[in-house]
Amino acid sequence: MIHREHRTDPARSAAAGDVTGQERPAAVAAAEVDALLHQVIDPEVGVNIVDLGLVYRILVDGPVVQVEMTLTTPGCPLAGYMDDAVRRVLTALPGVEDTRVDIVWDPAWSPAMMTDTAKRQLGWLR
Amino acid sequence: MSAPTTSTPGVTPRIGLTSPHRRRGAWVPPLMAAAVVLLVGGLWEGLVYLGLPLARGQEQLHVGHGPLMVLGFLGTLIGLERAVALGPAWAYTAPIGAAAGGLAVVVNAPNRLGPALVTLGGLALVAIFVAVYRIQASPHTVVLGCGALCWVAAGALWLAGWDVPRFIPWLTGFLVLTITGERLELSRLAGAGRRARRLFVVAAGAFAAGLVISLWADAIGVRVAGAGLCALAAWLARYDIARRTIRTGGITRYMASALLTGYAWLAVGGALWLALGRMHFSDAGTAARGSGYDAMLHSIFLGFVISMIFAHAPVIVPAVLGRPLPFTRLFYLPLALLHATLLLRVVGGDVLGDVSSWRWGGSLNELALVLFLGLAATMVVRARPRPAAGGTRRRAE
Repeated sequence: MIHREHRTDPARSAAAGDVTGQERPAAVAAAEVDALLHQVIDPEVGVNIVDLGLVYRILVDGPVVQVEMTLTTPGCPLAGYMDDAVRRVLTALPGVEDTRVDIVWDPAWSPAMMTDTAKRQLGWLR
Repeated sequence: MSAPTTSTPGVTPRIGLTSPHRRRGAWVPPLMAAAVVLLVGGLWEGLVYLGLPLARGQEQLHVGHGPLMVLGFLGTLIGLERAVALGPAWAYTAPIGAAAGGLAVVVNAPNRLGPALVTLGGLALVAIFVAVYRIQASPHTVVLGCGALCWVAAGALWLAGWDVPRFIPWLTGFLVLTITGERLELSRLAGAGRRARRLFVVAAGAFAAGLVISLWADAIGVRVAGAGLCALAAWLARYDIARRTIRTGGITRYMASALLTGYAWLAVGGALWLALGRMHFSDAGTAARGSGYDAMLHSIFLGFVISMIFAHAPVIVPAVLGRPLPFTRLFYLPLALLHATLLLRVVGGDVLGDVSSWRWGGSLNELALVLFLGLAATMVVRARPRPAAGGTRRRAE
């Protein structure tokens, strides 16, 4: 299960004002980030990274989004690809000014972390 | 203004690695360029072996066609992808050693400098997998590490002056264990459990035992290794996730297609190793005199390994370069050309002894490789560089 955290810093929200004078959304919703991360597909298996259980935590701090995720194994050559893909979808989200992707290894990923949706896609469940 | 950082109390300590922030962008293009030079050198000598009327390269390059392609060209690419994934500067010793060693062979550097540098690259790859294992211990990392040790063994035997056919099994070991180690890892996604892992150990163990035996008794060793290759192919056919993903679409289906056709060639190669045993090579330039050897090698190196390269390039290239490589169905063209022309080479040339089929098949194998690289390069160039992510931009301020 993904841990979602939403922090609000009024000072930062004020500082995030657009120089053009237009109002920006005060903050990004963690649920929106979660929905966008469902669009990041592991090309090898055709399943998104959220259902694969690779996303551990989403932290939204005003216009800053931090995603803490793992990979199925350390040193995975796909790491750069995933990191780029996550940044790409999050940058497209209105109100996001900064993204940070942290790849962590604790806890280690295991197939038990996959959702039923992923297991169904991969033929575990009918 | 510096970006607000999100240091949060209670966040799990991170073990750093693997992020594009640690890509050493300036190091990648020269290494990729070196890989292209090595590929051109290897392909040129390949055409010379096929009997095309081309100028033969100097002796070290001509004789070193096999190790140049495996340890030089593929060693550079595999070492680079692993170095980028791990991150630290020392890890780049692997691709730099492979590239520099390969280039030393191409320019005919003296004193076995090429094999020595290539072996150094292999040692660095072993160190990479030791570092990965220390981050998270796992059976597949051990398999990948064993593949890197095969690189070191092949490089050391090359350095010691062994004839190339005598250490071909070790060149094969590097690539087969590297690829199957990755597939073992991914098989968890297909539900492979303890029994599957045990079967893998039996198959890979037989293959590795064959490599060791081949040092003293080449025919017996090659046959044992061949049995291991057949077992590994059967294992992949049973447990690999490509069996499931072939039913999907887009890039995932393309990758699965390349993987499954590659496994078929691995089985062919294993059967040939098992049936023919000793690797006999005659540089006569005709299929009739070198047929078994040609088929034993290229069913694996082209049919299995290059198919894996075709499968993974659309995701590995962006990971290494930091630039997108949009998938296009055109990637099926070089893939189909590779397998069709390899069939022509092996069946028409090596089995039936038709020199023309062998020569056309071999030459078109090379065309498939060049076509794939050209297509990949075109797609990278055509893809519009995406705007820098906010985080990257702000951190640079």
